[in-house]
Amino acid sequence: MHAIRFLRTRTAWWLLAAVLAGALSWSNARNSRGATVDRAGAAASAATSVRKQTNSALADASLPAVPKPAPSRRSEWAPAFGKTTPTSLDDLKAIERQVKAVAGRVSPAVVAVEVGYGSGSGVVVSADGLVLTAGHVCGSPNRPGRLTFPDGRSARGKTLGVARDTDCGLMRITDRGPWPFAAMGDLQEARAGDRVLALGHPGGFDLKRSLVVRLGRVIRFTPEVLQTDCPISPGDSGGPLFDMQGRVIGIHTAISGSTAENFHVAISTYYEAWNELARGAGNIGRPAPPRAYVGAIGVDDAPGCRLTSVEKNSPAQRAGLKVGDVVVKVDHREIKASASFLRWVTEATPGETLSLEVKRGDQLLALDVKVEAPPRSP
Amino acid sequence: MLGLLAAMAVAEEPAVDQKLLRTRYRSGEETLRAFAPLAAAMHSSIVKLAVDDETVALGAVVDASGLVLTKASEIRPGKLTCWLANEMQVGAELVRVAEEDDVALVRVHAPGLKPVQWADSEVHVGQWAITTGIAPTPHAVGIVSALPRRIRPQRAFIGVQFDFSTSGTTIEHVLEGLGAEKAGLKPGDIIKAVNDTAVTNRAQVVEMLRDFRAGQTVKLRVGRDEVQFDAQVSMMAPNDEVLGAELYPQPGPDRFTGERSQRAEGFEQVIEHDTVLQPWLCGGPLVNLDGKAIGLNIARVGRVSTYALPAGLVKQILKRLQSSPHPGAPLDTITR
Repeated sequence: MHAIRFLRTRTAWWLLAAVLAGALSWSNARNSRGATVDRAGAAASAATSVRKQTNSALADASLPAVPKPAPSRRSEWAPAFGKTTPTSLDDLKAIERQVKAVAGRVSPAVVAVEVGYGSGSGVVVSADGLVLTAGHVCGSPNRPGRLTFPDGRSARGKTLGVARDTDCGLMRITDRGPWPFAAMGDLQEARAGDRVLALGHPGGFDLKRSLVVRLGRVIRFTPEVLQTDCPISPGDSGGPLFDMQGRVIGIHTAISGSTAENFHVAISTYYEAWNELARGAGNIGRPAPPRAYVGAIGVDDAPGCRLTSVEKNSPAQRAGLKVGDVVVKVDHREIKASASFLRWVTEATPGETLSLEVKRGDQLLALDVKVEAPPRSP
Repeated sequence: MLGLLAAMAVAEEPAVDQKLLRTRYRSGEETLRAFAPLAAAMHSSIVKLAVDDETVALGAVVDASGLVLTKASEIRPGKLTCWLANEMQVGAELVRVAEEDDVALVRVHAPGLKPVQWADSEVHVGQWAITTGIAPTPHAVGIVSALPRRIRPQRAFIGVQFDFSTSGTTIEHVLEGLGAEKAGLKPGDIIKAVNDTAVTNRAQVVEMLRDFRAGQTVKLRVGRDEVQFDAQVSMMAPNDEVLGAELYPQPGPDRFTGERSQRAEGFEQVIEHDTVLQPWLCGGPLVNLDGKAIGLNIARVGRVSTYALPAGLVKQILKRLQSSPHPGAPLDTITR
């Protein structure tokens, strides 16, 4: 019992790490603790290097081949899916019909994944048992794992490749198939607002409950990550996000404190890194250079960011910032929300001094804070 | 941990037009407008209950005379009133409570109420699950996430520690002041059966005890030296001082799950749905696209789930509440 609680905590921790991005470094939110990637700067070069490696690995015919994306049949979807919002009960009925059909069809391929001390989810994408999951569920290549299907059947497997920068993970079922599987899709015709289904085993596998299905919309996406309002939680990590024809278009990776901030690795990332993943590479991508750290977080308190926590021995504390202070300006730029405070801080270079304008009660204070490189994460 | 915060870089935001407007989120205002006809059709079947003028729950009208079902544990002591869709506020009183189901029967003094129609159809994963109230549009919508199942009660304890050197059921330590001690159990005793079902290992005992709630009594067959005897042991809640709250922390709100219902465990059957619902909006009907209630929202459980008692079960509970022995008594509590 205690062991299991511990496992879950570990998974939760990962999500927690992402959540502390809080404010929200959205395209970065999926990066695991410590292994953050400088999305803004290094993304392009990382992608390029992955692509090069991919090409060099193409010759190896013994590696599992990447499943072909099932073609989009968007033009055949009910008109309700083309509208910005449903406008009638008929639209709602059409959505319901499709959601029920897709959920029923894809469910058998959605597995609970246990690797080492972690528990998460995954989705089988080939009859011989290739499983897409999150990198942080795999941990590292070549680890034994157990995969449990929604009906309670379980199979042995092992981890293949893990991408630290994007949080992709690939596993393979080592027991003999064939296994139920779902089609992989693509984001070529995807749009913000698309309805999507999030499936997974939040909290770990539970035979009496089995899968948990959630419906939401794509809030925004890039070729690397999707944000949706499908609520996901610890244990869902690695589980699939499906489009309205039942194609896998994302893999759950991280959340924030808001139920509208759920992040999914975009399926394109798996194609991009496929040969590396299949080969069992454990170090795809590279960790981020240190970003500036101030040691304080806050919440929106218009107009500004009210600090809810100031870390001991942090630059913020040394500068005299206190819990309850409302930061209204950073370097003469107005702070409209807690997110922009965090943003100006993280965009500074460690060692730089920022001048803050802070409201404390009736006072308006000017404080200088020298940002630093972050302390090492636990 | 805080270090991580700053370690996360904020990348360039995608252009605004690529981002879905908040009003179009799955429970955004604009989306909810499509559900307005359903909400309107339910208006005379739903009330919003307040204690000392603070909203505590919704309620489902079950009888035109003013009987309403709601979530019992949210009705704390105080002045109970209820709001209707026509913005009238009227008095209400608690009539009876089915404690095990966490359902209360409330009488409201209002004319023109219409009983909720309970759905007879089977529930399907993926169907809309709509939480309407007395406003023009629903409070929130979601889908059915998992088929009906039983939710075990919050864990309770008899108050022993087993000898962990074997898988057997030998008691090593009896905690002071808990059920086991009061029933006379002693270190070295061996548990032979739980409610007449023979047990041989610790895991079995722990598993079987999971089905009991705090306050219930369990019959243990105990072996001591050469004799065996039965002991009636009462179960206690984990937050009891003796057990130490830090040992068995209760799930509370955190920044992932948000607010959670106080009572979120121990239901005979629930439909799990993905509606993000504030705990004080439980107690009302969960509606399908035909305007029929597939259940009664009974708990906000966590980030991904809300529970509703299925319609069939609600009807049974209502029957029990209405047929219990002392109709008209000011307030009484019934058990299954």
